[in-house]
Amino acid sequence: MTNAARTGQTLLIVASTMLFAAFTSALVARRAGGDFGDTPLPVWLWASAPLALAASWAVERGFTRSAAAAGAALTASQLFYLGSLHIAQVDQAFRSVFVGAHAAHAAAGACALLLHGRSARLFWHFAGGLWIYVLALLGVWT
Amino acid sequence: MKWFSTDHKVIGKQYIGLSLFAVLMGMVLSLLMRFHLVYPDTKVPLFQALWPEGAPGGVMTPELYLSLMTMHGTIMVFFVLTTAPQSGFGNCFLPPQIGAHDMAFPVLNMLSFWTTALSFAVLLMAFVVEGGAPLSGWTAYPPLSGLGKITGPGQGLGQDLWLVSIALFCAASLMAAINFITTVIELRAPDMGYFDMPLTAWAWFVTALISLFAFGVLLAGGILLLLDRNLNTAFFVPGGLIVNDRVEPRSGGSPILFQHLFWFFGHPEVYIAILPGMGVVSTVLSTFSGKKVFGYRAMAYALLAIGGLGFLVWGHHMFISGINPYSTIAFSVLTLAIGVPSAIKTFNWIATIWGGRLRFTAAMHYALGFVSLFITGGITGLVLGQPGLDLYFHDTYFVVAHFHLIMGVAAIFAIFAALHYWFPRMYGRTMNETLGKVHFYLTFAGVYALFVPMHFAGIAGNPRRYPDFKEYEFLQSLLPLHKGMTHAAYFLAAVQLLFLYNYFRSKRNGAEARGDVWGAGTREWRDD
Repeated sequence: MTNAARTGQTLLIVASTMLFAAFTSALVARRAGGDFGDTPLPVWLWASAPLALAASWAVERGFTRSAAAAGAALTASQLFYLGSLHIAQVDQAFRSVFVGAHAAHAAAGACALLLHGRSARLFWHFAGGLWIYVLALLGVWT
Repeated sequence: MKWFSTDHKVIGKQYIGLSLFAVLMGMVLSLLMRFHLVYPDTKVPLFQALWPEGAPGGVMTPELYLSLMTMHGTIMVFFVLTTAPQSGFGNCFLPPQIGAHDMAFPVLNMLSFWTTALSFAVLLMAFVVEGGAPLSGWTAYPPLSGLGKITGPGQGLGQDLWLVSIALFCAASLMAAINFITTVIELRAPDMGYFDMPLTAWAWFVTALISLFAFGVLLAGGILLLLDRNLNTAFFVPGGLIVNDRVEPRSGGSPILFQHLFWFFGHPEVYIAILPGMGVVSTVLSTFSGKKVFGYRAMAYALLAIGGLGFLVWGHHMFISGINPYSTIAFSVLTLAIGVPSAIKTFNWIATIWGGRLRFTAAMHYALGFVSLFITGGITGLVLGQPGLDLYFHDTYFVVAHFHLIMGVAAIFAIFAALHYWFPRMYGRTMNETLGKVHFYLTFAGVYALFVPMHFAGIAGNPRRYPDFKEYEFLQSLLPLHKGMTHAAYFLAAVQLLFLYNYFRSKRNGAEARGDVWGAGTREWRDD
């Protein structure tokens, strides 16, 4: 990977971090409204966390196609969860936003792994870590 | 010209061309608004032909006035002030100034331009869809912007297109920011350290950093607002709201939350517009004074300080929104603190020309004009940065005058300076100097004739955004003042024909120019 590609990926990660930081700020501020429900996250969604970690492990071992497949499976599980949410309830609306935005990142990361191989691993590691963060945040705050 | 070129010079010119078209459109919209303000009941058949529903009988409705205001602000802020100084001139001259052959990611660069162009096209489509363009202002505050067409014409599909356009613009700006920063970090010539870069390169670099941190937040706000509008979520739209006798079925969103997200982007956006101009002015003043920039390192650090502080002051746009009074003190102090690096820059510009062998070229005129406008507009920023005064001024023409001078016209003067200065490098010819200077003096006079009286209208309590202020008895005495401003606006617009004539004529018939025409000495003038 060239220095420019590494720097570019790092900057993309900064931009994505700002997007999720903004969503997080909105969630924290909006939660004070008192109209949040208390539905727990489904257990199977928590099980997608190891999928993200497994993809990171695979890409570090050079199994980029397997990593991309794990990324695609993660995206599919996120899209399936999105379909089950009732967006008129604000807590579930926030879940939709976080999971939907992350699904876009996971899909982009999986495509990048397929197209660029290990060169895209920095972004994939970020996407995996971000999913752990999103799960923890939604589990605690929504 | 190859339309889908990846050459940075072509892409830079494409950005400048897009901005030129946008600025003409934005100017026409402002002229229509100024006309309506002083002649609100005059029947203009053209209005009815253009907007059958917005101007029945040729008389502009308040909704049409507000849609023109919204589109004027959006076009000018995003497609002129954000686009030309950074992406336009930055693309043309950042790589050669730092010894690079092109931007770090040429294909991404092309993609960034065409996404910007698509964003502009989507915005313009709002004019022709059912209901027309949105009327919630360039800030698109909810609940007005979050409820859909029940709140008025333009608030249906027009507002959705506005939001999609802004989301596309955010994506394009993030692509551009990644490209600019990577280019500076990775493609600088081996013998060029950060503090060897010209101040223009510094300004583009810092502006790209600001864009990287700011546009993601605007994108987040835009996505949430789109969901509120189309899927009945309750991020920003409050509960129990009654609109046209209908209770909105939401659980209780926070309009203030949108303002926080918007202004976290919105205030840095001011610096995205003005910082590249500061770089251009530093270079032009130095070149035509025959001296190095006074306090080069201080100027670079001041750019960083302005960029950094810009992220800590968004709350000063919300003094009247009901935020915690303690936080207003913090935001006020931080706002006033921006005066320090701003003063460093201003004094260093004066010190740069002090004792120099001055050459009063057209570019030098515009650069000096920029300094004048920056001081005039900046001083009223100190007034508005104080919560007690802002409570009175915030929704008046005082604010309109302030931000037009500091953000709008100052940045436009920097664009004029940059065009005159780099025209030989862009097109191999020089612009006509005499025409340039005549254009400068007339524009400079017109700008002050338009915006100084506007401060007085604000001091008199004239609210902004009102389509017909004469309906209010206490404002009726301001009609002559407004007529004067409207005439100044039309004069100012007419004067721009001189610029257009000079620009297009010089591209074909200007005096041929080769090499370092101005004796600047920076890398972009080398014939390699």
